[in-house]
This record gives sequence, structure tokens and C-alpha cells, in this order.
Amino acid sequence: MLFSEARRRDVVSTDTATRVARVDGFVVAAGPARVVLLRLGKVAGEGSLLSWEDLEGFGPDAATIADVSVIRTPHDEMEKRADSRELEIMGKRVITERGDELGNITDVDFDLDTGAVTTFLTRKEAIAADRLIGHGRYAVVVST
Amino acid sequence: MTASDRLLRARELTGRPVVTLGGELEGEIKDVVFERSGGRIAGFTLRNPGLFSRARKDSLPWESVHGVGRDAVMIRDPDTLVPTKELAPRKQARKADVLRDRVLTDNGRDLGKVIDVVLQGGTDLEVVGYEVEASEALGTAGRRVFIPLPDTVAVSGENLILPAAATEFVSEDLAGFGAAVDQFRARLRESQEEA
Repeated sequence: MLFSEARRRDVVSTDTATRVARVDGFVVAAGPARVVLLRLGKVAGEGSLLSWEDLEGFGPDAATIADVSVIRTPHDEMEKRADSRELEIMGKRVITERGDELGNITDVDFDLDTGAVTTFLTRKEAIAADRLIGHGRYAVVVST
Repeated sequence: MTASDRLLRARELTGRPVVTLGGELEGEIKDVVFERSGGRIAGFTLRNPGLFSRARKDSLPWESVHGVGRDAVMIRDPDTLVPTKELAPRKQARKADVLRDRVLTDNGRDLGKVIDVVLQGGTDLEVVGYEVEASEALGTAGRRVFIPLPDTVAVSGENLILPAAATEFVSEDLAGFGAAVDQFRARLRESQEEA
């Protein structure tokens, strides 16, 4: 499923069966390329991050969690940067390890069951996610 | 990969962003630092991005460059940057230094003064030639031409000594120069095998 389709989905807590947040974004890490965090909006409590491992499920209509306590604040530097959207991958430039730009990311395809990222899409091409080397504030770097 | 891929003048790199493999912008290239002798590149001085940026005290050694492309100079890790004074001890490596170097052939002809160094980009970085202000010996005196380098150059002192055959592979533009480098090196290999 594409990030663009999976965004805005409700996050539902299964213990109370209530909507507790909305998916605002995805944080991708390398080695292998995967979704490690969800960035949430419309959260009642303090934090707005959710680890992929803390998800019960990511279905066609909602993402589910056991209870609201798994929604949390950043734990480390990377998570702080993710929280501040520095690591927002949508729209980010893709650059090869040789130093050639391939365009900006328009969407990302991932596996709803595992969180594994399969493809980065730019306006011009589909880039296999196993080429991901690193992902920072400036660029997503892929192998040549 | 052949030498005809992605040739560029070292000075064209000024202003190009320096990006880590982790996707962080580390700065941008300010100047090329040439080694005192040999026309080799010691590395690059850096500046912070932006119009009124100041020079920085750290520099990028040549060995730390992972790739040079159209849009960025890629480095593995910001920890591989070194203090500029390590890269250019005793002000040896002012960019003007290489300009004073003269290119001599091994049979004693002065081909001219080095203006710039031609790099092959990508991830197999290599210095493949010099841009030279041609002397009388080349028949194009005063014009800027490109002279290919062998795979290995013996260098000592102020002069860069090239095999005389290099004069047969001089180009007037970078587009044709890649092929000239390949042909020149092929010729040198052939003559080594004969000898």
C-alpha cells in the first residue's frame, strides 16, 4: 500500500474501541528499508509517536493498538528528528551514492503486514527500496 | 567504466553540496586544494551553505570522497573531515600552486602551465588529465587544451613529467577528452608490453 493511501487513517484502541489518533506520517529507516515509526495527529495525550512493533494491526480501514499508552514521546535523537518532521520522506530528494539526483519522492509503497518498504516512487521512476543507504534531513541516498 | 564517463574540471565543484551517505548536508565545496607537486588533489575546503557563509576550519580530504556526481559530492561520514591545516600544511596548498606547475614531456618539451585538473567523477574517482595553457610546443600556443595523464605519473619537484606520447592525445574540449585519455593509456600499455 502507498503512504498516500495509508495516511489519514484512524488509529483505534482495541481496549476501548475508540478512535485515539490519526496517522499523519511514516518514518522510514534503512537496513533493510522499513517503517519504524508512525507519526500521529489528533492525539489527546502528550506524545505523537507510535513504534511499528506496538501496532496490533494495520488494516484497510484503521490501524489498531492495544491501548493508548503505547503512543509516546521521542526516545532518542533520531526520534526527536522524526517528531519534528526533519525525516519526513515524502517530497524529499533522492540522490545516488555517486552524487546524482533522481528526483523527489512522490510516494512510498510498503507492506501493511510487516512494515517493509518495497519501492520509492518519484515522478520519473520507481526505485527499489533495497537500494536505500541512508536517509537524512537533506536527502534519501540510494546505491547506484 | 571508461574515462569518457563524466569528466569534470576540479574547479567546477565549487558550490556543490557535500552530502553524507546518511543523507545529511555537511556543507558545500569552497575550493580545490592541490598538492604542492604533482597536480594531484589533496582535498577540498568547505563552506556552509548560503550566500554569506563563512569558510570553515575543517576540510574534506580526497580519500574521504565517496562519489562525485552532477548534483553533489558524497562522503561516507562527517567524522572523516579533517582540520584544514592538516590538509594544507604551511599554506602549501593554495589553489594557485598548481597553476605554477609546468607540464614537461619526458623528452624535454614544455607543454604549458596547468590551469585545472580534470577528474573522472562517479565512485571510481581519478585524476585523468590537466587543463593546460598551451605552450609553443603544442602548436596551439595560448589556447587552453586538455592533456591526458597515464595511470601513474612519476612526479618530482615543480614539474609534471609526462610521456611524450601525451602530445598526440591533446583535446580542445572535454567532450572528446575522455576518449583521448582511454586511447593514450591503451598506447602506453601496448608500448610497455612490447618492451
